[in-house]
Order: sequence, then structure tokens, then C-alpha cells
Amino acid sequence: MSKLTPYLLVAPLVAFIAIFTYVPIVSSVDLSFRSWNFMSPEMPFVGFSNYARLFAWDDFWDSLKVTTIFAVISVPIRLVLALAIASYLKRETLSSRVLRGAMFLPTITSTVSIAVVFSWVFSTDYGLANGLLTAMGLGKVPWLQDPSVTLLVLIFINTWKQLGYDVIIYIAGLQAVPQELYDAAAMDGGRRFQVFRRVTVPLIMPTTYFLLVISVIEAFQIFTIINVMTRGGPAGATDMLVHLLYRTGFVLFDIGTGSALAIILFVLLIGLALVKARALGAKVHYEA
Amino acid sequence: MSRSLHISIAASFVALAASTIAAQAQTTVSFWHSFNNRAGEALEEIIANYEAANPDVDIQGEYVGNYNDIVARLQAAIPANRAPAAVILEVTRYGLFADGGVLVDLTPYFEADPLKDVLYDYAREIGVIGDKNYTVPFNSSTPILYYNKDIFARAGIEGEPDLGTFDEILKAAQTITETLGSEGITGIAAPGQFARWGLVMANGSDLIDSMTGEILLDDPKTIEAYEWMASLVDEHKVASADGVTEEDNGRDAFLAGKVGIMMNSTGNYVGAREALGDNLGVLPMPCNPDCSVPIGGAGIGILASAPQDVQDAAYDFVSYAASAEANAIWFAATGYLPINKNSAEQPVAAEALANQPGIDVAIKSLPYAHGRARTPVVTWMRTTEYDVWQAMALGQTPVEAAMTKFAEDTRAEEARISN
Repeated sequence: MSKLTPYLLVAPLVAFIAIFTYVPIVSSVDLSFRSWNFMSPEMPFVGFSNYARLFAWDDFWDSLKVTTIFAVISVPIRLVLALAIASYLKRETLSSRVLRGAMFLPTITSTVSIAVVFSWVFSTDYGLANGLLTAMGLGKVPWLQDPSVTLLVLIFINTWKQLGYDVIIYIAGLQAVPQELYDAAAMDGGRRFQVFRRVTVPLIMPTTYFLLVISVIEAFQIFTIINVMTRGGPAGATDMLVHLLYRTGFVLFDIGTGSALAIILFVLLIGLALVKARALGAKVHYEA
Repeated sequence: MSRSLHISIAASFVALAASTIAAQAQTTVSFWHSFNNRAGEALEEIIANYEAANPDVDIQGEYVGNYNDIVARLQAAIPANRAPAAVILEVTRYGLFADGGVLVDLTPYFEADPLKDVLYDYAREIGVIGDKNYTVPFNSSTPILYYNKDIFARAGIEGEPDLGTFDEILKAAQTITETLGSEGITGIAAPGQFARWGLVMANGSDLIDSMTGEILLDDPKTIEAYEWMASLVDEHKVASADGVTEEDNGRDAFLAGKVGIMMNSTGNYVGAREALGDNLGVLPMPCNPDCSVPIGGAGIGILASAPQDVQDAAYDFVSYAASAEANAIWFAATGYLPINKNSAEQPVAAEALANQPGIDVAIKSLPYAHGRARTPVVTWMRTTEYDVWQAMALGQTPVEAAMTKFAEDTRAEEARISN
């Protein structure tokens, strides 16, 4: 085997990633400094004016704010619920296995289908949710018309869809915790909550860390549910960052500003990952 | 191996080669459109008829979503060199493509085509910007007022209702909501954007002046019309808020017999008739006091990126699609307006006019139908209008303040994109 062989073996994958990941990123950076509408053969260099336009644009700050609120509420709910359910479903019983499958179904179901179905469930005058409330003698809730309620609806649907994935990952993490540690804790007289806090939580920290990183990225990149259910409404109240990016680039024909927004989102997510690494890195141990 | 088997294999190869050569001799015209269901079937019939008469041309029609979806997909396809040869483009949103040199100037084709003499003026006009013709009309429409006769009768409104002014419409909607609200029936569907534009025109104004390009979003008459429309949802509660955040909800509820009045494109006529049967009533849009309706729909443009022979074949098809024969099929199947002066004489159109009461209401509106502005800022204005309308109709922002800011923002955007 020559020294070149390993490089030749990985070359196809490296080329694939370079072409389909890094070239588009570099291209987006380039486009973010240009003015282009997809059609013009010319793409004049405009410096930082696309970025300046974004920072002066109320819609951008509103979008950043609502996306941050969405992430701050939905991520902890997802992680806490997933850990609680995983703790219950980690046992290798038939019912646990069936429930794990049931929990995972929404994750592998088409997001568009889910959004369409929930659009009808949460229709104010014709939906199932208000039908049930009305049958119970309660008033109708404007699920998709009141901005704060609509945001909660979106958080609920996203949590419902993603929870199965989080649960499965947590179950894998919980099952990797050595039984001897629980036995030792029991012999030392540890109570259930103490064992959970002192043994389980530290030992599944790599799993928690992984899910935290993934769920924050997902929260900042949420698009499909928004685009199908609210299109950023009511009145722009759920126009989250990626939907604003889509609207700017593909509806308003402003590719330069859309690319600038993509780069800002990219930098923001890297920044958040670094903050999380600094805040939690010392608590993440990959060996028991 | 037997001799006959050898001969069979050789014959197969010859047949395969011949069919391949024949296929290569065909000119293929890829055509993106926005029609499915009943309209999609009618378009397929038109394409099949054309191909039968022109076996050397293969029209590959593809449904790619609504008008917005087409614009989004076209944008992505153009830099990737994957754009179709022909595409349906909504009448107010092709200006940017024409401006960017994406669309072929069809004026030379048009001037040499006898079609130009048999198209209605209103139809021909929708494809013109300045002195150039960029699209050939295909599906033209105006908003009309649909009502459910059964709901009106149950609400105690007998005979053909008076729905000629904003006050009369509101009064009928209130009567229906008060009488039948307990059954989940509301008086009127919140107007969609096409109907909103029509109601502004009926109130004596416009969103953007089609002749001068002046932005009229903060004109007092425009604001007055929006105040009335928003009041249907926010103040009088005669229209469901579901139709504000998703316009199709209002239409679907009307088709399901849950709404008394709907203002929508004439292109919904056949679907509404299928849903409601003889309970469907059709009237012109209100005159409050002006009788004026916008012309909507779409035309077919040809992309400059297509080879010349494909452009020629595409125009030939587009011209056929606007012919009396094809347009009559389209009119009878959908309810869209006739664009060809001879369409009504075709048997299929004559039968529709005789047997489908109300299908001619939009035709009668033509004397006061007007084209709309199609300057590059219109795309931005229409996209943004949805959010502004939601804010007003859901009571989040006062109408006058919302429209004043909307007008300022639109003027700023117009200045930005013109630089």
C-alpha cells in the first residue's frame, strides 16, 4: 500500500463534501457581498450594504427575536420531556418497545403532512381543537391568529414531531450507564432523586450535550412547519429566520440580502455552539 | 438459434432505432403551469389536441404549484440552466422577468399572427409592457361575487339579493351570521388578495395606478376600502379569521356550504358549481360607487434561454392555446373568461353558456374591467400586503396607520430596486 492510498480512498468523499457543502458556503459568502436577483447576468459587488440593510431592517430583528424565543422555550421542553419519557421507556419490555416505536413515528412522518393536518386541527372556526373546546362549553381559541398563541402552537407541533428522536437518543445514553454504579449507589443508601442527579445526569451529559447542540440548530433552522402553516403570519409574527431568508431570496428576489442572512445565521449557530462548548464542555465526560 | 428469432431481433433493433430517430426529430417544449384537478385536465386536453395536429412537437406540461411557486422555482431554475421553454406567469408578476431579459419579446411573433386580431383588447393588453409584448393571455379572470342561495333563503333573504354596495353586503352577512351562526355558518368569507384589489377599485381607487405607476396605498379611498374589509372580521365578526391567515380556508368553507358570500376569481366558477349545484348564485362585484374590477389570471411567456427552434414551437403552441377552439374548452371547463372573440361561437362554449347559469357574469363585467400595474415593485407590494392585511383584519394595527406605513415602505422599495 503506497502512502497515497489512504488519501485516494477518502478523496471521493472529500470531493463530495467539498462540492455540495463547502463550495455553496463559499458561494453564499460571495453572494452576500453582491446585488443579484437570479436573472441579471451581472452581480455587482456592493460591499457590506446587504448586511447594513439587514441590520437596519425591522423584519430581521423581529425574526431574530421570535426565533430566539422559539428556541429558548422549545429546546428545554424537548430535552426535559425526552429525558423523562426515556427514563420510563429504557426498560426492555414489550410495552416499552411498542411505545418507543409509537414515539418515533412523528419523527419519520413527512413534516409537510404533519403541518397540513395540524392546520386543520387548529383552524379557529372549523378545527378539531376548538370543536372539542366548544363541546366542553369553552370558548374558541384563535390558535393561528393570535401571535403569542400561534408561537406556542408551533412549539407544540415541533416538540411533538422531534420528541421521538430525542427519546431514542436518551434511551441509548441511559442504557450505556453501567448498572454497577446504580448498584453501588443503592448500597450507599442513595435515594432515587439523588441517584438520578448524582449518577444519571452526569453520565448522560454527552447525550444531553449532543441533543442540546442539535435541537438548538433545528430550532434556528425551522422552516417547513412555518411555511406550510403560517407563512410567517399572523402579520409576520412567526416569520423565523430561515423563512425570512426564503422570503427575501426566493419571493422578493433579493439574493444578496438573503445570502447575508444565511451567513449571519451560520455565524450565529457557530457562536452558540462555542458558547455551549465553553459552558458545558467541562461537564461532559465520555467515560464513566 | 432459429432464423426467425434472428429476424425478430433484427426487426426489433430497426424499430427501436427508427423510434429513437423519430423521437429525436420531435421538438420538445417544456411548459410549467399552475393547473391541477379540473383545470389541469382541461389543459391536458388542449395539449393533446395540439400534439395530435402537430406530431413533430412534444409539449411536456408540468404542474409546478401556484403562481408563487412557479416564480420561486423559475428563479432557482434560471441560473441552473434548467428553466422550461414556456411558463405560465401571473399578470402582475412577470415584469421582473421581462425587465431582466428572461422572457422573449413576443412582439414579432404576435405581429405576424392572425391571433392578435381575434383577442379581446383586455386580454391582449395584459402581456404588454411599454411597447413590447411578453406574454400571450391564457387564463384571464375577474373577481365575482358568489353566494349560496340555500343559506340566503334559510336566513330569510328571498329572491336575488341586493349585494351591489358595501353596505348591502355587510347587511346580508350580518343577517346570515345572526340567523345561522349557531350552525357554524358565517356571512362572508374574508376577501382574498384578488378580491381585496377589486374592492379597492370598486371604491374608486387602486393599489398602484396601472397607467402612471403611482403608489395609491395611502389614498383615502384605498384606506376606506380596507377599513370596510377589515371590519368584516375584526369589528362585525361576519367573516372567519381562518380566511385571513389562509385565504383558501374561506373558499373551502364556502364550497362546503358554511359561508354565505364569497368574492373570488371567476376561475372558481366550475368548482363552486360542482360543490353547490343549483344553490350557487353569481353576481358582479359591488359598485361602491365605481363599477371597476381588476383583470387577473396569467399569460404564457417564452424563455429567452430556449433554443430558437424550441421558441418557435413554443409560440406556435401558445398561439393555439389562445385560439377559439382551445379557449372554448378552457372556458367551459373552468369558468375563466373567454380571451378570444370567437370562443363563444364554439359548440362547447355555447353549451356552457346555455347550461351553466352565472358563467357569463364575469363576461358582463368586462366593460369595466381594468388591467393592473405590473411594475417591478408589484411583486414586493403583493408579498408584503398579506402581512399588512392580517395585521389590520386581526385588529393588531389600525388600518390608516398600517396603510400609511405600507405606502411609505413600498415607495422606498421602489426607489431601492430602481437604483
